[in-house]
Amino acid sequence: MRRKDRKVPRRTFLKNAGAAAGVAIGFPRIVGSRVLAAPGRAGANDRLIMAHIGVGGMGGHHLRDMVARMKQGQVQIAAVCDVDENRLRAASETAGPQADVYRDYRYILERKDIDAVVIATPDHWHAVQTVHAAECGKHVYVEKPACCTIEEGKAMVAAARKNRISVQVGSQGRSQPEAYLAYRYLANGAIGHIDKVTCFHYPSPVDKKPVPDSNPPPELDWDLWLGPLRWRPYNKRYCHGTFRWIMESGGGEIRDRGAHVMSCAMWWMGADGTGPVTVEATGTVPTRGLWDSAVEMDVTYSFKNPDWVLTWNQHPDNAVPAEERKEGEDKIIRPGYGAVYHGSKGTFTHWGGDGGTWAERKAREWVPPPGAKDVYESPGHKEDWFEGIKTGKKTIMNIEAAVGVANLCILGNLSLILGRKLEWDQAKQAIVGDEQAHRMMGRPQRHPYHL
Amino acid sequence: MNTQDLIARIKDNDDKVRADAWLSAGPVGAPAVKPLAEVMANGNLEVARAAKHALWKIVRHVGRPGADAEKKPVLAELIALCGDDQPTAVRREVLWMLSEISGDESIDTVAGLLSNDELREDARMTLQRIPGDKSLAALQAGLAAAPTDFKLNIVQSLRQRGVKVPGAPCRKLVPTKKTKVRKGARVDT
Repeated sequence: MRRKDRKVPRRTFLKNAGAAAGVAIGFPRIVGSRVLAAPGRAGANDRLIMAHIGVGGMGGHHLRDMVARMKQGQVQIAAVCDVDENRLRAASETAGPQADVYRDYRYILERKDIDAVVIATPDHWHAVQTVHAAECGKHVYVEKPACCTIEEGKAMVAAARKNRISVQVGSQGRSQPEAYLAYRYLANGAIGHIDKVTCFHYPSPVDKKPVPDSNPPPELDWDLWLGPLRWRPYNKRYCHGTFRWIMESGGGEIRDRGAHVMSCAMWWMGADGTGPVTVEATGTVPTRGLWDSAVEMDVTYSFKNPDWVLTWNQHPDNAVPAEERKEGEDKIIRPGYGAVYHGSKGTFTHWGGDGGTWAERKAREWVPPPGAKDVYESPGHKEDWFEGIKTGKKTIMNIEAAVGVANLCILGNLSLILGRKLEWDQAKQAIVGDEQAHRMMGRPQRHPYHL
Repeated sequence: MNTQDLIARIKDNDDKVRADAWLSAGPVGAPAVKPLAEVMANGNLEVARAAKHALWKIVRHVGRPGADAEKKPVLAELIALCGDDQPTAVRREVLWMLSEISGDESIDTVAGLLSNDELREDARMTLQRIPGDKSLAALQAGLAAAPTDFKLNIVQSLRQRGVKVPGAPCRKLVPTKKTKVRKGARVDT
């Protein structure tokens, strides 16, 4: 049986009430956010002026999405930026002749006409570019995970708050229609009190074709690609895309997908703003090659008050729950990861948690009884961000929540690297009782690519 | 496993033998540090990598709480590896190891590398990370002695340590790199 279609509310920028702002219906004004409405806040009828920093894999996806929105009159794309000239050239063609092109994102940040930036660079750049954008008054959509270190996360939260910008982090699973259904189902006690959430994922890949270091290709600015990371020679197996399997940048599947799956867990458990008291990881690592993130992995996060346990488990596909969808239903495109929620009255499974979130049928078909609690339903991840820009409301994956999720991923990896259990003090936002681990909460950055 | 066994296995042709060796290297400790550093310069890429992983395993093992007695001799070995007789790549890696577990004992050695063009940035970041007054003083002395092109790097470290340097601008937001791609470019098909 196909699930019932739901009308997902959408917001548009070109409202008929534009008369109040002196805008004729159907004729959008292209203005910078600081010209109208409250200081630093775009007015309801303003088309946002966007720029894209990092236009490769996910960055290219975001750019194509914004081009579609540009054609609908929602945004204007003023600039694209990438450190790979080939990607930049392709992005220029996609974005259109009105978009300026840059290699160095700082040219974008110094422009007064740009309201907001989409940051889809490799993970080790997320914090630095978000903080810089905030300091320049730009609203930010930044890909997940929010940060690579605990200290980076703190800096991002501080910068966003101080500069009063709207941040949306790209854990778009929270904005999927079935994520809303799942959350509503769980929030109303359908499976009772939940004391355990077990996340499942297939292993990280291993590099079967390692190569020696070499000179970077002519189109790539290796210094700028490395950015804040400590210097190392270029290696073909480091980028693009494969940075995900390098601990100092992508951090492996726990950061790449864990940032999605655990985002749903923290949200549905009402645990945003909280953290575990202990983290313990074990796992296997590659036996050769440059990639060094965990291949298989088990991490246990213990939370207190309320008491519950979150686990992250990376194992081959035969260890994950079988997908549920049957003939006639929408196919689960990515069944190999998700989470099982263990409650006092039963269990609940979801698959995905990123661009697609699929909930077990019982949640999809659940009819709320009278008096049932409703939960926030996102109008769409970008739409939710736009609303945050216009109104100042917290986004569904705001920087505080996103840093909390990223911290889980970071702590899991740290426990694995160090080979020991870690204690976390959420109030202090610090690892306690372990000087080495405490130092590894931060990582000095190469000049001038620093926070 | 003793040092000799460890090194023999690190040099093995079998990936799994090498991996099992470096994963178990932690307790071998200080006696293995210098031999592993020598293997890091091995011409076989995967053997060199295995040696590096083993050295890091030792550093993470002796960095655990309550392991000061094991850490001290490892630190002494690592500090010795900062000398001019060692390859730059080894010294760079050792600096980051020191940044995780060293106290005051390595500061003089690390500070000496602030004048080394290839290693000065890693040395700076190491001093930034090691807590305490001695590392801070080393950064301040380093600033006074640094050439113009490196001064702002050290200023950044001091800023991170809570020390403002009057008259030293922060350059982090200053764009410097131009693209050759022209606006409205089309991809050649």
